[in-house]
Amino acid sequence: MNSPTSALELRAPARWQRFIAPLITPEIFDFWAARVHPTLSWQRPLARVVERTQASVDAVTLRLKPNRHWAGFRAGQHVNLAVEVGGTRLTRSYSLSDAPRADGSIAITVKAIEGGRVSQQLFRAAKVGDVFDIGPAFGEMTIAASPQSPIALLAAGSGITPLMAMIRALAADGMPAPVTLMYWARTREEFCFADELRELAKKFPAFRVVFFLTRAEAASADERQGRIGNEAIALLADVEKHQVFACGPGGFTEAARTLVAATAQSFMAEAFTPPPQIVDETGEVEITLTRSQRTLTVPRGQSILSALEAQGVRPAHGCRMGICNTCACAKPSGTTKNLHSGNVNAEPALALRICINGATSNLTLDL
Amino acid sequence: MTKIANRVLSHTELEQFGAEIDALRARTTATLGQADADYIRRVVKAVRYMGMAGRGLLFVGAFFHAVLIPCWIAGTLLLGLSKILENMEVGHNVIHGQYDWMGDPKLNGKTYEWDIAGTGDNWRRSHNYSHHTWTNVRGMDDDVGYGLLRLFPEQRWKPFYLAQPIIAIVFAILFEWGVAIQELRLGRWFAGKTSHAQMRKLFRPVGRKMAHQILKDYVFFPLLAGPFFLPVLLGNVVANVLRNLWTYMIIFCGHFTADVETFSKESVKGESRGHWYVRQLGGSANISGGKLLNLLSGNLSHQIEHHFFPDLPANRYAAMSVEVRDICERYGQRYNTGSLPKQFGQVIWRILRHAWPSRSRHSIRVSTVPASGESFG
Repeated sequence: MNSPTSALELRAPARWQRFIAPLITPEIFDFWAARVHPTLSWQRPLARVVERTQASVDAVTLRLKPNRHWAGFRAGQHVNLAVEVGGTRLTRSYSLSDAPRADGSIAITVKAIEGGRVSQQLFRAAKVGDVFDIGPAFGEMTIAASPQSPIALLAAGSGITPLMAMIRALAADGMPAPVTLMYWARTREEFCFADELRELAKKFPAFRVVFFLTRAEAASADERQGRIGNEAIALLADVEKHQVFACGPGGFTEAARTLVAATAQSFMAEAFTPPPQIVDETGEVEITLTRSQRTLTVPRGQSILSALEAQGVRPAHGCRMGICNTCACAKPSGTTKNLHSGNVNAEPALALRICINGATSNLTLDL
Repeated sequence: MTKIANRVLSHTELEQFGAEIDALRARTTATLGQADADYIRRVVKAVRYMGMAGRGLLFVGAFFHAVLIPCWIAGTLLLGLSKILENMEVGHNVIHGQYDWMGDPKLNGKTYEWDIAGTGDNWRRSHNYSHHTWTNVRGMDDDVGYGLLRLFPEQRWKPFYLAQPIIAIVFAILFEWGVAIQELRLGRWFAGKTSHAQMRKLFRPVGRKMAHQILKDYVFFPLLAGPFFLPVLLGNVVANVLRNLWTYMIIFCGHFTADVETFSKESVKGESRGHWYVRQLGGSANISGGKLLNLLSGNLSHQIEHHFFPDLPANRYAAMSVEVRDICERYGQRYNTGSLPKQFGQVIWRILRHAWPSRSRHSIRVSTVPASGESFG
């Protein structure tokens, strides 16, 4: 899924803010404001946990209340959340699992991933009152208001979350078109929202849900066994009339694409891709410079500064040995390796010293 | 004072020296985490509360004349301490990028702006780059006398320097303003080497920051006290001057004590990493004291460790210094440290002595000949 280039964006200050800006900096304002109310801020979009519920055996749903600097969302969209783990702020994208609500609160459902630092932290330790920086909503996979043609939603694992937001939005709209959800998980315990989905299916004849188990036997009428394939798609009476939305791991959405993209009325998919793994130290990678809007191919493992200079780019720099911080720039995405220490960093960073770091994957730099 | 001659290190020894310092850096970096994040946030909190309390007491004193004097003294001291802590332990260290690993936009080295007349941006260049990369290299590190003072015999004497005992005092009182205009290089402008148009461009951000500080400390807060503005204004002036004197003293002790060395441009050509460390060691001096001194100096009481690891959180320097000292001892390198009165006494002596013509008694020693063709590249 494509996240915005700058993970957490700020709005332009209002007029009264420009007026008093010479007297108080946003940092000082925020320091005292946070003592009045946890999400009161000069301009930073913040969200506070107001409710925590167990969504399944390994997932938790957090209801968040964003402050007024957050601009809202459409069902199916995602947000970036900055979570502090061990003193370091890590940014992750989460799909909003609830439809837009009148009270302005939003919900994310976080599945604890083995070895996932942020998801483990949120699953184990997030509690009511915690405050996170939140980015603007993003994502193109949304449903038009009052859809006419039937809708098929294909979800695998945590891919249910943006589709759940759509289902809730459609339910609030009285299910204006027939909606079929096919939802895959390994075992029954891993299904999120199962009770709610069955309630909705009872309430709305136009809504049908089918649970697919890949590592357990089907036991009830709305359960099936097996991976995504022709048998599953055959449950849709007339694929060519359907708008199809798929969300899940890359392999799942690709399988869905192969099965229905050519025949369905429309097909949209979003895949949760795992962070890039480093395969080798040789070869070339692409560096995208967001400010100068250039993309360059450079050798892996070379100092990024030297590699850019070899291509005629002249980034600001100083000592060339990693001490003066002049060359530090934001790295919204990609994996780098510190050439002195050998440490590898796959996290988005606000300040990457390009003189002593080499690229090990494709990178985006704020240059 | 006994001078311990540094042992001249062979090329291999220099490399090993550098490798040991690098290993210490790597071990420390690996343990950065929640405790460091909590520490710097605690300091920020102390800065805010002390600043608020200081300003509050100034107002109380201004409105209730019975308690004017005790409130004014306490308020001014608290405000001064808040500024010292903000400038040294938060501002200086955050601007070095020491807490960039936290990813907290409020503690980002590239954007942090501090409560002092000089802009963070100019500081990033003159201090983080020029001073830290070329520490005590004559002609490259502007902090060698700040283009105003003659502190080393290697600087050419001029009759102007006879006035430096006075100039040094005025400079100390106005230190923040001196630092604020350092990057403008007014000397070059007076000499006609910088055009008026260039100067206007250079001055714009500097002037804006100066105006901001003046407006905040000398107009806005005093005016809040209405007719009783005078004690508030004076409190702000004195707090800023106290901060100036303190930072001046700490910074001068860091590089201008009796035994620190300066270096020629030629001696640093093609420097290796080990050689760079040895030069940082020779050009820096620590101040021994307790935890309070470490805190109030922004850990510049460990100037040597700061120059070895300018981008590591300064709250780690004290612990690292044990190992740094041991490494220096094993390689026969002097580790320059002393109490604040001793170190600052030496600084004062330098200011007085080199106001007069002086000659270097020993030629400046470069620890080794840099290996050819080896550089940081």
